[in-house]
Amino acid sequence: MSEHNVDLKPTPGDRFTTFLKRKDIRETLAWAAFYTAGFVVLGGVFYTKWMPISLSTDMKSIERLMVIFTWISAPVCGLVLSIATYTFRHGTRGDVPPEDGPPIRTNFLGVASFGAMAGILTLTAVVYGLIEMNSASEAAAKDAPSALIVEVTGSQWVWSFNYPAQGVSSNELMLPKGQPVIFKIHSVDVNHSFWPVQLGIKADANHFQTTSVTTTPNKLGRLDVKCAELCGLYHAYMETEGAVVEPADFNNWVTQNGGHSA
Amino acid sequence: MTTLSSHVSSRPIPNPKNSLITKLNAGTGLIVGVVFAVATYNLLKGENEDPGIAYNIHNRALLAAMFMWSIGFLVGIGAFIGPWRWLIGKDLTAEEQLYLAGDGQGIKRYFKYCTDHKVVGIQYLWGVITLLGVGGAMAMMIRTNLAAPGGHFITASVYNSLVGLHGITMIIAMIIVATGPFGNYIMPIMIGAADMAFPRLNALSWWVLFTAIPVLCSAWFLGGIPTGWTAYAPLSIQAGPGMNAFIATIIIFAVSTAVAGSNITATVIAMRAKGMTWNRVPIFVIGATISVALAVPAFPTFMVSMIMTALDRTYMTGFFDANIGGSGWLYAHLFWIMGHPEVYVILIPGVAVLMEIVPVFVRMPLFSYIGAVVGFAGIAGLSILVWAHHMYMSGWMPMLNGPFMVTTEMISIPTGLIFLVMLGTLWHGKPWLKLPMLGVYAFLWNMLVGGITGIYLSDVPADNYLHGSMYVTAHFHYTLMGAALTGAVAGLAYWFPKMTGRMLNERAGYVSFWLIQIGFQVLYLGMFTAGAEGQPRRVVNYASQFATANRISTVGAYLVGTGFVVLLWAVVHSWRHGKIAPMNPWGAKSLEWTVPYPVPLVNFDTPPVVTSDPYGYGKAVK
Repeated sequence: MSEHNVDLKPTPGDRFTTFLKRKDIRETLAWAAFYTAGFVVLGGVFYTKWMPISLSTDMKSIERLMVIFTWISAPVCGLVLSIATYTFRHGTRGDVPPEDGPPIRTNFLGVASFGAMAGILTLTAVVYGLIEMNSASEAAAKDAPSALIVEVTGSQWVWSFNYPAQGVSSNELMLPKGQPVIFKIHSVDVNHSFWPVQLGIKADANHFQTTSVTTTPNKLGRLDVKCAELCGLYHAYMETEGAVVEPADFNNWVTQNGGHSA
Repeated sequence: MTTLSSHVSSRPIPNPKNSLITKLNAGTGLIVGVVFAVATYNLLKGENEDPGIAYNIHNRALLAAMFMWSIGFLVGIGAFIGPWRWLIGKDLTAEEQLYLAGDGQGIKRYFKYCTDHKVVGIQYLWGVITLLGVGGAMAMMIRTNLAAPGGHFITASVYNSLVGLHGITMIIAMIIVATGPFGNYIMPIMIGAADMAFPRLNALSWWVLFTAIPVLCSAWFLGGIPTGWTAYAPLSIQAGPGMNAFIATIIIFAVSTAVAGSNITATVIAMRAKGMTWNRVPIFVIGATISVALAVPAFPTFMVSMIMTALDRTYMTGFFDANIGGSGWLYAHLFWIMGHPEVYVILIPGVAVLMEIVPVFVRMPLFSYIGAVVGFAGIAGLSILVWAHHMYMSGWMPMLNGPFMVTTEMISIPTGLIFLVMLGTLWHGKPWLKLPMLGVYAFLWNMLVGGITGIYLSDVPADNYLHGSMYVTAHFHYTLMGAALTGAVAGLAYWFPKMTGRMLNERAGYVSFWLIQIGFQVLYLGMFTAGAEGQPRRVVNYASQFATANRISTVGAYLVGTGFVVLLWAVVHSWRHGKIAPMNPWGAKSLEWTVPYPVPLVNFDTPPVVTSDPYGYGKAVK
């Protein structure tokens, strides 16, 4: 505060320069830059490294969303952690309490800009999410006529898949690459949740209700199918495997299992 | 209360001769409760050749026995003597009321139906410690089982029960962790009141809660629960007899929170000291009140859902059974209409404790008091409009996913205000880095991680992947444990001198703090990774690809466990042998630091008059 020149009535520009020259501001800004950069890197690395290989556009867009959300929140992390770090480093240790600080009750500019920032970031996240949701449902509607139908049945503690057009039933989930697929899911007992991990979709299996979810596998690879809703004793073991394969291989698989190519 | 205060100066030990209340305590409660329970069970149990009907009858007998245990205990401890005497026109005498307040009865009053809010506060504190200990031990068993793939340490059935009972034990503990001990012991003194608005209801809320603890524990002896703490139907309808214990616990607990919540709310509204206008109320009191006021409408839906589950299990009503026209979604709605406000019922008091601590240790006024109030109120208000974000994937109504996503993400704005208040108070200060203050820093980091990961989860497309995975588990532990429990532990360190007359052992406190916080990061960063990799929640076993992340988590869990054992040691040791605390060790300005230890029965010899808020720190401005 002592740097303020009270006699000359500084212009806003001068005041901003003085503000930036303050020692506490400089150290805090340095920490803010450090933490923001840290979270940007973390966001770029963590999810791409740990999330499974994506076999559909849905999964790809989830991965992208996680990264972008981390980046959006990186400056917030920077702000919070820089102030925390600065004050922690300059804190008082020992048994004697520190002297009183300045009696600041509020700061209109601070509160308003913080509120605006929180609002804008929230709005960004909301709009981004809504756009993603919309594009997913648009794609689903567009793909519906050409889609492969798979009826998924959850029962304690097995997944089974029925391909009505092909006349095939199976305990493994085989999908042809490039063709949209509609899963129609229900349960014969308690709630389950159908989770083909690498496809980035999930839907509950309810008794007497059919839920459906759509995606298009766009890459070959192994699929893990799990149950994501606690469904009793062997919930942990209610999993099966599958694969996204070339359409020709899918047709072979269908005929091998006694069905007919659609 | 004025009639009571005249007795205080001379302090005769009241002796209402031959009055029944002198003969009743937790022991007589236990006896009557057990007699009631056993008699009820034997009366109602019956045989039937149809296994379905036999199952219904057995459930009826068990549930009735559990409720009768609770009622019997309350009868036996004398909870109904006051109303009964009033009913027959022979209200309790002043002497008897003083006796009920536990005046001059030493340690015995902690085992009686005692109306003194300070006694109830200590009872709650030990209740919380017990529940956290039991829940923590279960968490250690869960993590031990998950240390390596294979899951051979415990069976699937025991594991599922552990997951559910750990969940509900911790939820109950966390709901009362701040409002129980501090809301009862400290808050009335903070607002300058002589006691709570309804002292007998206060005792009732604690002892009702107490009766829920053995009921909850009985789940283990009845075969456990397979449903997790969410107790989704129809799994809960299918579940064995242990489920009755869960149902009874929730119903009993809901009664306790309703009683406690209305009492705390009434106290804050009606019992504030002269001059304590709403803008002079300490922020902890505001937070605790908003929290309990939020619980008052939230819990009945949980209670109702449990009553309906009980009816489905005892009379085949089929509310949630799709076989006979019910719907599991109905349960999910009732549960989450309680469930989401409930996380803020837990979070807000923990945060409010920290907000109370920051100005004291930074020696500056609370930055933007209005911001804090608006933040709490905004969180509480929005929290009742977000419940279906737990049901994005349920198939219930995908069209509403968008609106629920919007309301959920809007919670970031009042949460941002909470951060602003903390940071604004810290800025320009040179914080006194004592144990309570360290909690503030731990909160800032943990709540940041918990909050941001919450934004991913609230987003429908991302939730498509993350829902039901370990990522969710890690997220809510960051908020509930990392933020709310950290706040409560900081509160214990802060108010320990007022509640026990002694200082909490600092060295042990620091050791436990760092063990817990570092272990916590290790534990849940491992769990975030497992979730991102695609490991579902609540699994007794997992594929080998998740092994590393889980092993790291387990190491972190042991650190956290060790930290809490050290903290428990510090609490017990300091309670008996700690350094005698001065009246106001932190130099704080709120009213609870103006009374000596032991705090007099009516708290203040002369009722205080308040002329400013308790945050008047700061050098005079030149």
